[in-house]
Amino acid sequence: MKAYITYFKLKFISGLQYRSAAWAGIATQFFFGFVYIMVYIAFYKSGGKDIPLTLSQVITYLWLNQAFLALINQFTRDQELFNMVREGTISYELARPKNLYFMWYFKVLGQKLANVTLRFFPLVLITSLLPKPYGLGGPASLSCFILFLICLTIGSLLVTALTVFYPIITMFTLSEKGIVNLMISLADIMSGLVVPIPFFPLFLQKISKVLPFQYISDLPFRIYVGSMPTTIIINSMIIQFTWLIILIFLGNFLMKKSLKRVVVQGG
Amino acid sequence: MKLYFKSLGMHLKAELEYRVNFILSFLSQILIFFTSYFVIIALFTKFDNIKGFTMYEVLLCFSIIQFGFAFNEVFARGIDRFDKLIIKGDFDRLLLRPKSIILQVLCSDSDFVKTARIIQAIIVLIIAIMNLSIHWNIMKVITLILMLISACVIFFGIFLVAASYCFYTVQGLEVRNVFTDGGKHMAQYPIGVFSKGFVVFFTFIIPYAFVNYYPLLYLLGKLDSPIYGLSPLLVIIYLIPCIIIFYMGMKRYSSVGS
Repeated sequence: MKAYITYFKLKFISGLQYRSAAWAGIATQFFFGFVYIMVYIAFYKSGGKDIPLTLSQVITYLWLNQAFLALINQFTRDQELFNMVREGTISYELARPKNLYFMWYFKVLGQKLANVTLRFFPLVLITSLLPKPYGLGGPASLSCFILFLICLTIGSLLVTALTVFYPIITMFTLSEKGIVNLMISLADIMSGLVVPIPFFPLFLQKISKVLPFQYISDLPFRIYVGSMPTTIIINSMIIQFTWLIILIFLGNFLMKKSLKRVVVQGG
Repeated sequence: MKLYFKSLGMHLKAELEYRVNFILSFLSQILIFFTSYFVIIALFTKFDNIKGFTMYEVLLCFSIIQFGFAFNEVFARGIDRFDKLIIKGDFDRLLLRPKSIILQVLCSDSDFVKTARIIQAIIVLIIAIMNLSIHWNIMKVITLILMLISACVIFFGIFLVAASYCFYTVQGLEVRNVFTDGGKHMAQYPIGVFSKGFVVFFTFIIPYAFVNYYPLLYLLGKLDSPIYGLSPLLVIIYLIPCIIIFYMGMKRYSSVGS
């Protein structure tokens, strides 16, 4: 266990070095957040029927999306892992007497947490100081906030499992283009990063309940804004936790399977 | 010009060598592009209109700007990726040759997978037009064509300015995404839905509003004067300072060595 934690620390500390990149990222995210919010404000002013969230709930949801983007998104992949598979440096990793899956898992987790730590504080601080319709709102209640924290923690473990999953698939396909890219763009829509899930057409909402993606960030953010009844929260969190176990198990299994027939390309 | 087409042909051939890869990437581009208009379609299932614009009107606006962006991603990839040329020191080679620099930069790279986006943008455009009752006349056809051209021109100009920044910083600037990706993202919607400051900035500093807002209003019959229909021409004038900035930057260029 100690070795894995060291991996985590290593990635976390080196990730914290990229501060100027983080500032540029924050500026971009801030702009994008604003554009989204103005679009929603214009929509809400124009009116509609069966609108699932109130305006302030949507805005809070959108800012949370931006604040945690570095943690919850799947489109920034861990290029290092893909390169290991493609260039064959994975053979160095295999020489180490530890479980490869968990080495990768903790590396990715460390990287993600470092990225989000740099971006999250400034974004939350600035957005919560913004004037009324634009700002980030507080949690719906104390219990919502506590549930949110638990749920987001499981969510970040879940997204890490997914992020490690993609390079493992690449061990079978050898190219990360194609199937992996398709999966990632699907995950993008289904995790509510593009549009919050409650705004989906009904049949897509049903599909997204079956997939793991909405349990990464959509669920915790909806708990935070208080748009879900408690019974549903508990049920969803059970599903969330089940997905985490399934994905870690599956990832581990697939990795072992592919390592049996590993062919190191190049030397 | 012949040179440009020849190099395009070569890039295309090179990409088609990896056929399966090309097809799969093409498919994933289609899905990625889908995410961008999925927002619009999803939101219009809950809302009736956005500041008086209906779904197909927004999609029309959206497809024009996406067309322009994708067009540049395919045919002006070299400018989009200009920092690579500078970092590797390949730019020095271009300077030695007796041809226009911008032309050579254009020849240096292209990305045919992104034609997936161009095709899809055109399909969305056609669907949007078929579902709108526009009273067509020659002037409106000209307006539509001008909108498409100016969409290509504006991104070309912005890419040029962003590229000339590399002469000073060597590294590409991540903030430029605000003006390219961010601008594209915003101009998907009729600019009138945004607040005043944004509208002013994106009318006079970066003239997105002349690409797909004022001409759009004319096309939809919300404004009558045909002058609005010709407003995309202003964007072509906008290109001149962009080119000047690029050449001014080039005077400051000092090689990074290779």
